[in-house]
Amino acid sequence: MDSVWTKTLNQVKTWARINSPWAIHFNSGSCNGCDIEILATLTPRYDVERFGIKLQGSPRHADVLICTGPVTRQAKNRLLRIYEQMPDPKFVIAVGSCGLSGGAFQGCYNITGNINEVIPVDVYVPGCPPRPEAIIYGVAQLLAKLQAPAPAVKEG
Amino acid sequence: MNTPLSLLYLLIFPGGLFLIAMGLVYEWADRKLVAQFQNRIGPRWFQPLADVIKLLAKEEIIPAGVSSGLFTALPIVAVAAALTAALNVPMFGLRPAYSFSGDLIVAMYLLSLMTLCTGLAGANTNDRFSLIGATRTLTQLFSYEAPFMLALLGPAIMAGSWNISEINAYAESHLWMVVTQPIGALVAIIGLMGKLELPPFDAPEAETEIVSGALTEYSGRGLALFHIGKDIELVIGLTMVSAFYFGGLSNPIYFIVKTVVLLLITAGLQSLFARLRIDQTVGMWWRLGALLALLQLLVLIVFKGFGL
Repeated sequence: MDSVWTKTLNQVKTWARINSPWAIHFNSGSCNGCDIEILATLTPRYDVERFGIKLQGSPRHADVLICTGPVTRQAKNRLLRIYEQMPDPKFVIAVGSCGLSGGAFQGCYNITGNINEVIPVDVYVPGCPPRPEAIIYGVAQLLAKLQAPAPAVKEG
Repeated sequence: MNTPLSLLYLLIFPGGLFLIAMGLVYEWADRKLVAQFQNRIGPRWFQPLADVIKLLAKEEIIPAGVSSGLFTALPIVAVAAALTAALNVPMFGLRPAYSFSGDLIVAMYLLSLMTLCTGLAGANTNDRFSLIGATRTLTQLFSYEAPFMLALLGPAIMAGSWNISEINAYAESHLWMVVTQPIGALVAIIGLMGKLELPPFDAPEAETEIVSGALTEYSGRGLALFHIGKDIELVIGLTMVSAFYFGGLSNPIYFIVKTVVLLLITAGLQSLFARLRIDQTVGMWWRLGALLALLQLLVLIVFKGFGL
């Protein structure tokens, strides 16, 4: 009885999470190319409100951190702080080649590295910069990941 | 009043569940209409419900340096006040659940309590954006409240009563007061938009300037409750203005038609105008809104005084 109740409640929670991903956008040292594409994604042409995606100003309101660029030494603490300010459950999408690997800035003296070296990333969107369709696809991948049961851990 | 019926009133029909569902539907209609005006498709019908459930299921962070009791209590008080106000208005075109002489004043103040709670919530946190948001919320409260009150006073004077259901009955049996008191109707509609902090008057939560205003530090449950409170306020505001100025609400069909038409008007105004600065809002209300409302009141008093 108890497990049925918990199961239903969890299903409702997952449904709500999948249908209402509120995003916050943070640039940790990108060249602004990806940021322009993210802003283009939010325009009426792509109308992400169809999927319930909404850009929030406050990290306290957000579920998804959309992060661009390599992490510079200066931005590292800020990125960590923004991530820590978000309430659980929280997810991270790294947008653009720099967020994936450091991209064009790889090996620079002022770079800590890619985003995954600072905070755990759930979905990567490659491209330099990725198109708005690719960013929406990235969010859709994240939502599909939420829906699917956790993959089985390999023994041994 | 027997207890089961009171509980039914409070939890299911005019208050509680029904009103929350109604609020979510109206929020969706508002967002959909604005989206359509902007040439977008807009959110799906369950969007506000999904938002609220998701927020309720999220972690609630109580930031350092706040009074945690106040932080938790304020959203609850806000929703409670909005739900209580609903008991006095002709919700869904039916008789109000509780009706007494002077309930117009009580409903007005209960609706203001919601804004006051938002302001206090912002002032309670140490965040600079919340503080600016709180200041703006309270400043805006002082600017639109008087003209809105005066605009609702017009029908009350004509009906000779402070009772919402009596004014409603008067509005049903006479010519629509939007025709006889056009200035009052205009001030009431725009005052409603100010009260709900809808776009031309959304300086208190201007996301491009001050993150999210007074509610910046709220997450999870608190934010969800403030959202619900705002939605309920939208429904009550629409009900009151359409009951007073648009010929009363005598049955559910009139209720739906009139409030949706009013929502269409406010959504249109929302997408037409850009955000006003807070000083422009205050200036507009006191230089123009209050004067127009007073003029309307003067006309009514003269009209009534000569016994026409």
